[in-house]
Amino acid sequence: MAADTAGGADERLAYRGPIQQLLTRPEIGALLGLAGVWLLFWLTSEAFGTAGGTANFLDVAALLGIMAVPVALLMIGGEFDLSSGAMTGATAIFVILMSREVGELGGAGFSLHLAVPLSLCFALAIGWFNGTLVERTSLPSFIVTLGTFFILIGAKLGFGKLFTNKVIVEGLDEAQGYEFWDDIFGAEWIRNQHIWDGRDWAWAGLLVLAGVALLLGLLEMSYTRRADPPPWAAAGAFIGAVAVPLFGFVMLLTTDGTASNWLGGAVIAAGTLAGVATWCASRYEPVQRRRPSPDNRTMRMIGLGVGAVVVAVVLALVMDATNSDQLGFLGGGLGRAVFAIGIAGTGVLAALAATGHVRSSAPVIGVIVSLLPAISFMMTIQAARALLFGGLAVAGVVALMLVTARADLSLWLPMATAAIVAIAAFVVQAESASRKLRVELFSVLLLIALALAATAAARALAQRRSTAVPVPQMGLWPRVGAAAGGAAAVVFAVIELIDGDGLLYALSTGAAKGGAIALGIFAVGTFYRLLFSSDEGMGRPLVTVGLAAAGLALAVKLMFITTLEEEATQAVTRFRVSVLFYVLFAAVGAWVLAKTRFGSWTFAVGGNKDAARSVGVPAARTKTTLFMLVSVCAWVAGMLIAFRLNSVQANVGDGNEFRYIIVAVVGGNLLTGGYGSAIGAAIGALIWGMISQGIGFARWNTDWRFLVLGGLLVVAVIVNNYVRQRAERSQAARGDPDDDEPPGGDAGAADESASAGAEP
Amino acid sequence: MSDTLIELRNISKFYGNIIALTGVSTTVNPGEVTCVLGDNGAGKSTFIKILAGVHQHDEGELLLEGEEVTFSSPRAALAAGIATVYQDLAMVPLMSVWRNFFLGAEPTRGFGPFRQIDIEKAKQIAKEQLAEMGIDIRDTEQPVGTLSGGERQSVAIARASYFGARVLILDEPTSALGVKQSGVVLRRIVEARDRGLAVIFITHNPNHAYPVGDRFVILNRGHSMGNFAKEDISQAELTQMMAGGAELEALQHELATH
Ligand SMILES: Nc1ncnc2c1ncn2[C@@H]1O[C@H](COP(=O)(O)OP(=O)(O)OP(=O)(O)O)[C@@H](O)[C@H]1O
Ligand SMILES: [Mg+2]
Repeated sequence: MAADTAGGADERLAYRGPIQQLLTRPEIGALLGLAGVWLLFWLTSEAFGTAGGTANFLDVAALLGIMAVPVALLMIGGEFDLSSGAMTGATAIFVILMSREVGELGGAGFSLHLAVPLSLCFALAIGWFNGTLVERTSLPSFIVTLGTFFILIGAKLGFGKLFTNKVIVEGLDEAQGYEFWDDIFGAEWIRNQHIWDGRDWAWAGLLVLAGVALLLGLLEMSYTRRADPPPWAAAGAFIGAVAVPLFGFVMLLTTDGTASNWLGGAVIAAGTLAGVATWCASRYEPVQRRRPSPDNRTMRMIGLGVGAVVVAVVLALVMDATNSDQLGFLGGGLGRAVFAIGIAGTGVLAALAATGHVRSSAPVIGVIVSLLPAISFMMTIQAARALLFGGLAVAGVVALMLVTARADLSLWLPMATAAIVAIAAFVVQAESASRKLRVELFSVLLLIALALAATAAARALAQRRSTAVPVPQMGLWPRVGAAAGGAAAVVFAVIELIDGDGLLYALSTGAAKGGAIALGIFAVGTFYRLLFSSDEGMGRPLVTVGLAAAGLALAVKLMFITTLEEEATQAVTRFRVSVLFYVLFAAVGAWVLAKTRFGSWTFAVGGNKDAARSVGVPAARTKTTLFMLVSVCAWVAGMLIAFRLNSVQANVGDGNEFRYIIVAVVGGNLLTGGYGSAIGAAIGALIWGMISQGIGFARWNTDWRFLVLGGLLVVAVIVNNYVRQRAERSQAARGDPDDDEPPGGDAGAADESASAGAEP
Repeated sequence: MSDTLIELRNISKFYGNIIALTGVSTTVNPGEVTCVLGDNGAGKSTFIKILAGVHQHDEGELLLEGEEVTFSSPRAALAAGIATVYQDLAMVPLMSVWRNFFLGAEPTRGFGPFRQIDIEKAKQIAKEQLAEMGIDIRDTEQPVGTLSGGERQSVAIARASYFGARVLILDEPTSALGVKQSGVVLRRIVEARDRGLAVIFITHNPNHAYPVGDRFVILNRGHSMGNFAKEDISQAELTQMMAGGAELEALQHELATH
């Protein structure tokens, strides 16, 4: 986000609100896609949204993401590595062959303490080879790494069979030093073994913190601060925004039954609204201009939005049977007929399009018709309901939010809209047959209503910001927080290690506790500055606190189980250590791109290599390092595979290189280099994991898995592209881009890639 | 001040079978502006790219303070204090102004693996340096691709003059600039010279070259047509040599008769 210009703002720059800033980020398309996909499967399946389901898709996403992040970096640097997939399997096979006993058909017989570092050297050598060859020959990396790819798959099979006479290489667990390395690469977090009854309190508390911080952050970014705040401001706001909702939460958590749910929800809503109103009235410049009455178009949109929400609610009430039969209404002759009509229609429309009688996109209609029979067999009744219902509800709510956010309407309209959504929530809550809809959908709808009402209240009361303000220096707070958190993390980890718990347990509890402490200190500092200093521009730190709190809340909820839950469940949920690597690599990747010289050089060699070299960027070294980065990550992935499976098939990993690339593209990385984001690639991997596992959870016919996956990915890429082009257009208003500018350019591109954490 | 900083002896450069430069010799002294003049395609850019480390000469000798060197990369030339404004400006369009400004020489803070770019400092310096050029950039986060042609050229010049410690090379730096900014650039050239830098200045505009230049190297089709000190040549003669002489006279004559 480009709000923090050095030396203050320039009057020739139009201020961009938080939403507009978000829209110019490269990973925004992926983020929207992620929300959509999650919502889709969450609505369709009971198990998907649980910790078990999450562990399941995280597992897939992690192994993919560990590679997608470096592949994205390499792509930003303007190169591809087609050997990256095969390399993961190659390092796995290498380490097993190195550690196998020397026998008739044996391996090298090394201890793993030697074999594991050796395999790292092996991976580094491949990366160096790729990079140097690409640099020396100036051939496209596509060709060079395709060669490496074939060499690797040949070597994997050849050496595997030479040493073991089988296409599968096995026996890692018999190697010397296995325990030590298994503790690192084979570790698991078994959720059922970690009981913490205070979990839900931590979860709720962190969520409240996240909500308050995000809300205040958005307000702070959107509105102009007044010079003379009345003294009652902070107290009123605090009671409204924190104390009352907290009370509501306690009510929700400690009591059971519908009546208290109603009451709790109402208390939270009322408190929040009152808090927002007090805060806005006291802290920001009051609104000056009168609001116009809505025009016809706005009224039509509101009508459509409300209609969609109402229909969605009715559908939810009528259709929420948990029927997992296939839809199958287009079977037999009818299905064939529809298929034939679709194909014929495609042909006719294509012919018409070619002669210019219809739009060139018209044949798509034919294709969709021809796919209908297939879709009808792919989908369960439940899924169809979810699609219909979810689609309508989301469309309706989005329409309403857009209207209330866009038009500067008088207060009653958005408030009425919020009330309608709230009523819908309560109807679902009272009438729905499914527990999921009653509890979870109720909360979501209520939250949306609340957001609508709060936005409306703020807009009615406060004057919008017109100039950007630099983020104030946070002084010692972040440093003290980081130091205390880091120290605590080390101490806790060491204590756990001494207690004899595994490395993973020590590390993750240490990190969680240290993170909580660091977050706590930073949050206190942020709120302190917000309330007791005259700083403006506190939006960014607040949003940081909010996101970190939300992340921690999620981690706590996923990592621990309560006694009650433990007794009720038979399923064991395990998170593998790959998730830790995944998160770590994504964070490091984002940091490197945004903050380090190497990151700058990566963008530069991908954007304009000759220029980069001319001004003194060591271009060849940068590219070779990028290739080696990919190979190091391939080594990590290979170790994770080897220690998970103990025996590795010769073809493991082959073909995955294209997944890494497509996942990176879904995440907003430009195929031609010079633009992109590591976080985007990590999100792309998450989307892939969700789709590939969600299809199973939703009990869709899995024969069609790849069709759905492919289709959804194409949609994701299109949405991504569309969003980026829109962002660029709003960007282009600032300056006149020359015609020699490569496509896909965007401001904020080269700057920081959404680093989630606080600045160290 | 005339202890020679850079000396070129019979430098030649071939691009495959294309002969871009043959046997060019000259000296570059600190505290002097050396103007390199010549027709399009004469080899001026090739000449300075050898000094900037982008290309390496194929024949002849390049001496830096009397010692023979070959700059293997622009990074090596920069390390020797030679900064260049390239004719194509050498910018990455998708990257922001401040990142382009500091590309390859970013200021850092922190240590070891935690070393990161000092973004605030970089932005501030970039903004100040551009302001000195008379360019008031709105936002140093703006991608260079969206700047106007002249603004972009100013960024390149500001960058080179910030990093050029001993030699400043400018390849047609004023081609896209307004009158005011051209004036600023010429004044900067003189300032740099007065600070004791060696300046190498390429231009097609004799009105720019003659006032600031101390020495003139004239290239034609890869050959050197001679080194002239300012005393030895008048502006009219210079203009004539730059255009290949006779042709311009013919043109002037033609225009006058219409
Ligand atoms: N990379 C290259 N490969 C092949 N030929 C080249 C290359 N670069 C330059 N040349 C050739 O070398 C000759 C000199 O080019 P150079 O760019 O040095 O000319 P110049 O004097 O800078 O011209 P201008 O005034 O148009 O900038 C030209 O004929 C050009 O075609
Ligand atoms: Mg030139």
